[in-house]
Parts: sequence; structure tokens; C-alpha cells
Amino acid sequence: MEKGFRKKKSGRQIPEDEVITLEHVTKSYSSGAPALKDVSLHVKKGEFVFIVGDSGSGKSTLIKLLLRELVPTSGEITVLGYNLNRIKHSRIPKFRRKLGIVFQDFRLLKDRNVYENVAFAQRIVQTPTREIKRNVPSILATVNLAGKYKNKINQLSGGEQQRVALARALINKPTILLADEPTGNLDPNNSWEIMNLMEKINENGTTVIVVTHNREIVNAMKKRVITMKKGVIIEDEEEGTYIDED
Amino acid sequence: MRISSFFYTIGQGIKNLGRNKWYTLASIATIGACLFLFGLFYSIITNFEYIVKTAEEGVSVTVFFNEGVSEEQMLAVKSDLEKRTEVKEIVYVSADDAWEEFKGEYLGEYSDGFTENPLADSANLQIYLNDVSMQPALVTYAESIDVVRKVNRSEVTADTLSGLNKLMAYVSAGIIIILLLVSIFLISNTVTMGIAVRKDEINIMKYIGATDFFVRAPFVVEGIIIGIIGSLIPLVIIYYIYRSAITYVATKFTMLSSLLNFLPVDKIYSNLIPISLAIGIGIGFFGSFITVRRHLHV
Repeated sequence: MEKGFRKKKSGRQIPEDEVITLEHVTKSYSSGAPALKDVSLHVKKGEFVFIVGDSGSGKSTLIKLLLRELVPTSGEITVLGYNLNRIKHSRIPKFRRKLGIVFQDFRLLKDRNVYENVAFAQRIVQTPTREIKRNVPSILATVNLAGKYKNKINQLSGGEQQRVALARALINKPTILLADEPTGNLDPNNSWEIMNLMEKINENGTTVIVVTHNREIVNAMKKRVITMKKGVIIEDEEEGTYIDED
Repeated sequence: MRISSFFYTIGQGIKNLGRNKWYTLASIATIGACLFLFGLFYSIITNFEYIVKTAEEGVSVTVFFNEGVSEEQMLAVKSDLEKRTEVKEIVYVSADDAWEEFKGEYLGEYSDGFTENPLADSANLQIYLNDVSMQPALVTYAESIDVVRKVNRSEVTADTLSGLNKLMAYVSAGIIIILLLVSIFLISNTVTMGIAVRKDEINIMKYIGATDFFVRAPFVVEGIIIGIIGSLIPLVIIYYIYRSAITYVATKFTMLSSLLNFLPVDKIYSNLIPISLAIGIGIGFFGSFITVRRHLHV
């Protein structure tokens, strides 16, 4: 095997700095046309990638496949060296701990306060309580929520809730941050605050994948943009822009 | 598992009870209602069984012997019969014992005129049975012994008691089946409600990378606590109801209380406590286990 490549049973060898690899991936649901059709995609470590496209273009299916919530109908997916077609159920938690995940609807535990929501991610990886007490305030300071650690989730604005979700996603130092419409429920100011935080995280070496509809942000940030339509990638460009469908 | 994670899991299980108050209350009420019915019927059936058993113990078969059969022969028949499984106890009543008993019961001071024992041929064996339904088999066997003259039995009593035993077995089986069906219906409804409450929480845990065990453990702890509370409440209620009922019957129906011997409450509870706790904890454990399992494959 060549140096700098990961071992792979079939097809092309994966370069070691490639963290996400999709090879001819198709995903069909029981009814209707396939949600993804023969998609191939390669993302290197440290990249910042926007995935854009209309509703029904296959963005959410792609995120679900990367999270191993879904399994492809055909093709192969490798993320951080884990072959997601063949990964055992018992190994999925270990794989997911290397990802940070942010959703449009935040998905916070509403009956717990800010501190407990963030600490929860560390409890799951069995971090000692002493370390949790040190790490949580530090990550909350990074997302500018240090003063609100005791607040209940319903006492926070949408932007603050998303920052809690971001803190939770980051506390275990993920290699990849996946964000599914992270600004979908936020006003422009809060949206920019979240995107600036993500850019900062990316500058520290974390690979960031953002699914979004936000044209203004995509066009302003000059990052790699992958455009999807009806389950296929129609455009993939460095420093790309949001392509109009019409 | 780290010690801190262990205590965290236990703590989360306890906190979950307060986080989903209505779910907790509904679950405790469901388990409590099922176990209340169970406890009530258990107390009734156990008492009924006890009353029938007490009555059965009084039913005996009496074996009389031919004229001239010696006491040794009679005792030989006694040891032969004692080997049979249906026999609980055999009392040998000699002719003298029989006469003494008769005199004491019926003649009193008027027995002085008798110089000889008029019951010379009435030496007998009184046989008490383990199970009254086995009486016909024993009677047939006893009648086939050549030194035996006559076998007396109380067929009506035996038939009634063994009929009651059968009826009780059917009634118990019927009640248990009905209770089981009601419990399954109520518990599956509660579990469905639990799934709706828990779905998002479990999904979030799984997305963050929680193992199945980590997701499940606090819910199982919660389920077990609900099971324990749900079984203790009916136990306390039935305890007071039972005691009051016995006292009420004893004071208001003195005639009945001499006929019916109720089991003391501690006799009932020595079995009812472990059974109720086991059922309650079992329902709590499996209920939460199933609720969570449905969402683990995220």
C-alpha cells in the first residue's frame, strides 16, 4: 500500500487526509425516486464545505448517511476511516463521538439547563466529573454563554440555543462538525454569529460541513460549495457561490 | 463503567421521575392498579384455599375389621396403608378407646350398667388424607384387604370439597388471565405514552454517540423505581383493607367467624410482598427496556 493512503477493500485507495469519501452512492426509499443518485464526494481534513440545494435535493439524506442514521442502497461511504456500509451497531457510538452535530431545531434537552446539556455530551464519553467541571465553562466561554450556564433552555433566545448546541457538539473535540441548516431558525445577526463561530472552529483544524439555504452567508464566506439537485451533485467548486435554480 | 458514570446513571434515573411527572404518575397508577387487583384476588383465593384445606383435614375414612382380627393384624394393615401417598395420618382406635369415647360423649353416668364392652368389634383405623379427591382410590384399596369388614366414608363432603377445589382452580386461572390481559393493555398504553415522551431524548443521546447501555440505563433505573413504588402502594392499601375486613367479619358475623378461619395478614404477606415486588420490578424493567429499545436503532 502506498504511503499516505488508507487501506480499502475495493476501488480507489483513500488518501489519509481525506475524512469523508462517498463512492457512487445511491439511496432509495421504499417509494418514489431515489433521494441520492450515484453521488461521489471527497472531503479533506480541515475543509469548510457548504452543501446547498432546494428541498428534496437530497441534502438531508446525505447528512443522515454521514451520521450512519441511514445505510446506502448502493455505493460505499467511508468517514474517518469507518466504512459506514459495514460498521457494526456496537461501533456506531464510538464513530459518532468523532463527529459534532448541529441541527436546525437545536435538539437540546429542554428539561435541563445549559450546563447540563453541554456536560451531557461528556457524560456519554465517560469523562471524569472533575474534567467536565473544567471543560464546560471553557467551551461555554468560547460560544459567549459563560454567564448563562444555569439558565433553562426555554429561557434562551434561538441564537443562544444554537450556541448551546454548538458548544455541545464541540466539547468532545470532534474531527468533523456536521451542521444541518444551523441558521434556519435564526435572524441574520444570530446567523452570522453562528457562522463566525464555525469559521473559528474550522480555523482550529475541524472539518466543517454545513447544509444551508442561506444564500447571503454562502456567497459572503467564499468556501467550497456543493450544489445538489434532485439527488445529484450538479456543481462542486472551491470558493463557490449559491447557484440559482432558475 | 466509571463510578462517577454509575452514580450519574442512578441520579438521572431518579431525576427522570420528576422530569416526566405525568408519565411517572400514570405508570405508578397502572402498575399499582394491576397489583392491587392481583393482591386482592390473591388474598381471597389464598383464604379460600385455606378454608377448604382446613375442612378437608377434618374428613376421614374409617376402616372396621372382621370379628376375631387381632390387634397385631390391625396394626399391620395400618403400617401397610401408611405407605400410600394419599394418606396423611392414621389413628388406631382400639375397641376400648371407642367405648370410652362413646361413653364420654353419649352415656355419661348411665354407662355403669354395662359390664362388657358392647363395642368389642368396633376397633378401627381413622385415616386422614392429603387430598380429599384421592378418597375413592383409598377406599377401593382398603375394601380389598381380606381382614377389613367395612369402610365408612363421607362421600358427599369429599365430593363437595374436591368440587370446590376444582372450581377454585378454574376461577383462579380465569381471574389471572383477565388480570393479565388488563395489565398488558394498560401497560402497553403506558409504554406507548412513554415512547412519545422519550423519543426525542433518546434520539439526541444516540446522535451524540451514547451507547445503547448508556441510553438505556437511566430509563431502566427509572422503570425499576416506578415498579417498586407501584407495588408498595397496593401492598399498603390491601394490608389495611384486609385487616379491617377480618376484624369486621369477626365482630359483625360471629357465627361465620367460627366456621371460617381466615389466614392472619402476615401469612398472606410473606408471599404477597415478594410476588408483588417481583411483578412490579419486572413490569418496570421490561416496560422501560422495550420503550427504549424501539428507538435505539438511530
